[in-house]
Amino acid sequence: MNLNVNFILLAPEILLTVLAFAVIILGLLITDRSKNMLGYISAAGILASIVYVLGNGMTGKVSYFYDSLVVDPLSQVFKLIFLIVSLIAVIASIEYFKNNRNQDEYYALILLSTVGMMVVASANDLIALFVGFELASMSTYVLAGFEKKNPASLEAALKYFLIGSLSSALMLFGMSLIYGITGTTNIPGIIDFFSIAPFAAESSLGVLAMIFLVAGFGFKMALVPFHMWAPDTYEGAPSVVSSLLAAGSKKMGFVAAFRVIVLALVAIRADVHFTFAILAIITMTYGNVVAVSQRSIKRMLAYSSIAQAGYIALAFVVTTQMSIAGGIVLALGHALMKGGAFIAVAVVGYMVLSDNKNAKNIDDLSNFAGLGKRAPITALGFFVFFLALAGIPPSAGFIGKLLLFYSITIEAITPTGVLTSSWLLLIVIIAILNSALSIYYYARVIKYMYVLPPVGEKIKEPAAYVTAILIAVVGTIGIGLYPEPFINMAMNAANIVLGV
Amino acid sequence: MFSDFAALIVLLPVIAFVLTLFLGKKLPHGGAYLPIAAIAGSFIISAGIFLEIYPEGIVQQSIPWFSSGSSTMNMGILIDPLAIVMLLMVTFVSLLIHIYAVGYMSHDPAKSRYFAETSLFTAAMLSVILSDNILQFFISWEVVGVCSFLLIGFWYHKPSAAAAAKKAFLVTRIGDVLFLAGIVMLYVELARIIENPANAFEIGSGNFILQFKTMFEAIPLIDKTQLTYITLLFFGGAVGKSGQFPLHGWLPDAMEGPTTVSALIHAATMVTAGVYLVARTFPMFAATPDTISHGVPDALLVVAYIGGFTALFAATMGLVMNDIKRVLAYSTVSQLGYMMLALGTAGAVLGSKAVGISMFHLISHAFFKALLFLCAGSVIHAVGTNDIREMGGLFSKMKITAVTMFIAALSLAGIGIPFLNIGTAGFFSKDMIIEGAFEYGEVTGDMIPYAFAVIAALLTSIYIFRLWFMAFTGKPRSERHSHESPSVMTIPLMILAVLALFFGFSHTGFYGYVESNFELMGVDLGVHEGEPFHPSVIVILLPVIVGVVGFLIAYLIYNKRILDMSKIISSQNPLYKLLYNRYYEPKIGADLIGVKLTHDVAAQTGEFIDRKIIDGLVIDTIISSTIFKIGEVIRKMQTGVVQNYASITILGVALLLVLLRLEFGGI
Repeated sequence: MNLNVNFILLAPEILLTVLAFAVIILGLLITDRSKNMLGYISAAGILASIVYVLGNGMTGKVSYFYDSLVVDPLSQVFKLIFLIVSLIAVIASIEYFKNNRNQDEYYALILLSTVGMMVVASANDLIALFVGFELASMSTYVLAGFEKKNPASLEAALKYFLIGSLSSALMLFGMSLIYGITGTTNIPGIIDFFSIAPFAAESSLGVLAMIFLVAGFGFKMALVPFHMWAPDTYEGAPSVVSSLLAAGSKKMGFVAAFRVIVLALVAIRADVHFTFAILAIITMTYGNVVAVSQRSIKRMLAYSSIAQAGYIALAFVVTTQMSIAGGIVLALGHALMKGGAFIAVAVVGYMVLSDNKNAKNIDDLSNFAGLGKRAPITALGFFVFFLALAGIPPSAGFIGKLLLFYSITIEAITPTGVLTSSWLLLIVIIAILNSALSIYYYARVIKYMYVLPPVGEKIKEPAAYVTAILIAVVGTIGIGLYPEPFINMAMNAANIVLGV
Repeated sequence: MFSDFAALIVLLPVIAFVLTLFLGKKLPHGGAYLPIAAIAGSFIISAGIFLEIYPEGIVQQSIPWFSSGSSTMNMGILIDPLAIVMLLMVTFVSLLIHIYAVGYMSHDPAKSRYFAETSLFTAAMLSVILSDNILQFFISWEVVGVCSFLLIGFWYHKPSAAAAAKKAFLVTRIGDVLFLAGIVMLYVELARIIENPANAFEIGSGNFILQFKTMFEAIPLIDKTQLTYITLLFFGGAVGKSGQFPLHGWLPDAMEGPTTVSALIHAATMVTAGVYLVARTFPMFAATPDTISHGVPDALLVVAYIGGFTALFAATMGLVMNDIKRVLAYSTVSQLGYMMLALGTAGAVLGSKAVGISMFHLISHAFFKALLFLCAGSVIHAVGTNDIREMGGLFSKMKITAVTMFIAALSLAGIGIPFLNIGTAGFFSKDMIIEGAFEYGEVTGDMIPYAFAVIAALLTSIYIFRLWFMAFTGKPRSERHSHESPSVMTIPLMILAVLALFFGFSHTGFYGYVESNFELMGVDLGVHEGEPFHPSVIVILLPVIVGVVGFLIAYLIYNKRILDMSKIISSQNPLYKLLYNRYYEPKIGADLIGVKLTHDVAAQTGEFIDRKIIDGLVIDTIISSTIFKIGEVIRKMQTGVVQNYASITILGVALLLVLLRLEFGGI
């Protein structure tokens, strides 16, 4: 590998990094009032990157920097997820942080966190993986506390930071153990080592290393029991940042787990599905049950996000091409649905604050009464996102869950109809019951929006929010109506995960 | 050139629907110009395509939609003669009715909703026509049904309208379920055929499994009994949509919607979708085995009898209705019966000619029936009532309406001059149907469908002229000052009247063109094409004779009043009672099946189980409260203290250690 290779496939990362610095420098030069344009510049850069990623690297595999970064279908799918979430968040931020004098720093941080996530998606080396994780985490720690006059925002940021540091420490410890065992930080090298010497992975040290990595990734994924920070942080952080955290940064954990853990498990042919099944079941059940009793919509969305992580984690249970593809499609769908839903909460916040400047608990359920009349597009957005999160067709949520549940069912039942593994079937049943339970709390909000009488006048929904919500709505329904290309994309990525 | 834009035929009204829905309230006339412009665009494109492909072109465009297993579904467009005549008719009639509605709905506060819904309806209907596969056909068919439901219940604050909408939705649903079951059976059968290598059946590249083309190609390989089931299930869908016996009850009730809706949806377009479905899949119907009557495919026999019976049965009820729109509704049911009858009888003996005969009646019916409804709307607009007993003497006040309606009535009654080939549209189209039924009788010796058709023709003539004489002649029976409608309403009437008068002259060209449909698609019908038949003079004259006789009867009774009807029309006369109560169909349908059986027995039992046992016991006391309690407990675990969070994280690591060790075994 030499450094003279063509960096063209890394153009999105390079573009966004340059843009982040450009935004900061530009911010120093222009007046506070003209800083509003920085949001548009950032959005344009992200949009260009999306177009670029869509057009390049969807097939084949190219590695860079002594094999520490790799561009392949898996990295591209996740980059697409991160970029879309980031685009939605940036567009909504144009309104949310309008006339804020620190906008330059805000957009630079968003861009850098996006770059961090993209590095994780491409990482082919534990060091690169860690650096990407930290770049994304450090940026989002600051973003979560960006409303520095708001104590809730600061508390959210601090908790996120403390638990995040703990997880980083665990993850780094796990990585160092792996380096100790295998003598390399290169992921394919590690996989090769373990496939030759599977006993090394099953030794106490190997298991400990794996647990630490799972804990580190699980923190990002908000898997139970590493989820504790998530509800507090999503609730306290600015809604647009919650959108980035819940929809984007969470997927960082998944892509890392796909690249390292699943690949390693496949290599050593270990049957640890039971552990992941328990994690997934606990996570989805916990998320759904606690979501039922929430009155704060942001908290409800946070728990629903935990539940969705549980569904996506079902991909680890059987590790077939279809299950991983299902996980990826659901991750993509979740990015759109959850990203859009948090932006829609931002509109409600805007609406409540324009009624009463000193309103408290702005995301309380009672503020959603008659939203269908007060803010029709936002309410429509919520309606679509909630149905999609509950897995009702035609939506991305439905397609993702369908693939996941189906992939586990065909593992449990042979094509001739013989039940081979009843506990796998039990997982599917629990997951479906969970979906049914989740309809309860989604439908409750829908009832508030459309059945109850409005508590105020109709508002004018700001164009930036509307654009962001509509992008998410179109994506959510689009994947549901025309899933073919997305499933193919996910299937290609799944091949990479399985090392095919 | 135009065929490149075929997709726009559907997309333009869809766009108009979205725009009208969101912006209609802010635009003049409720945004009516958007759908009008869009449908005019669809009409122009359709006309352009027609000129391009006539006489033997076909437009086919298809893209894959999604895959299921090894088979791929598609979305696509197929414009063959059958589709193009329907396209032209639907876009044209829809355009005229939209223009008319600008005047008719001018005082309605919810008119933007009206125009949005009719625009969506038009889009869905055009999509039904254009579909090149049965799945897309069904989906569009369902959207059409939803629009019909919305528009029947347009004045939803009226309980009768809401009830009628519900009834229409539920009754047509029975047909739709049958139709869907037919599609599923067909799919399973086709998949079986493709999987069996012995059949050597392959779907060509660019073709898809549920495309009509593939379906037709596979006909010889489909199990014959299965084919009968599939076609009869399809016909079940058609019976629901086209208001055939025994699912006809919803159509007269559907008159609760605005009259323009009745004209557009429940006369000219949607209700003909059922006939179109049978015509579209005609090769399948024609290929069913003849187990009941020799030489007559079973499916066509059923179609012929259901159609013929409906034609007569509905006409009898049309005789006694007093609501102007209900008379027309029963007339529609009856005429749709004629179209089915044509497909069944002529289909059995004349092969694909039947499609031409049936479609010709469909198109001419669309013109004169839309005209009748619009005239009725004009009358209702003027006198403010639907009851023909309260009308009368309107001729001098609304000349244009009276004359155009008379033309429509002549056309419906099939009046014309035989041998000279001069006559109204209905004259040509209905004559062919009755002659086809006669030919069927000659060949098979079964004259019953022919008898249905002739008697129904007599009744048709009576009820329509009864309606006309009662409304326009005699003394005014109400005090209301009535006046002619505005020109935005009368001009569409005149255009339709011209078509109702002169459309018939296109019959030779029309038959030849539509007949060639399946040939152009490369389908071998496998039906023996009958000899060119030369019916006797009386057979040719009879339809006109009964039409004229009907006119005279109506004239003598309702204009000259030589017969005192009050003796016949009394609640003592059991026949009158039977007809007036619509054969007690609403009683049987709504009260017995709907209320007693479905509601009292099934629904109440279900509700008891749900409310008392599942909801009361399980949901309330066990599941619901437990989940809430667990949720509350866990909520308290979320202390907000960050040290606890860290401890839980470490506990999680320990838990993982235990789990993984259990799985790997041993430490």
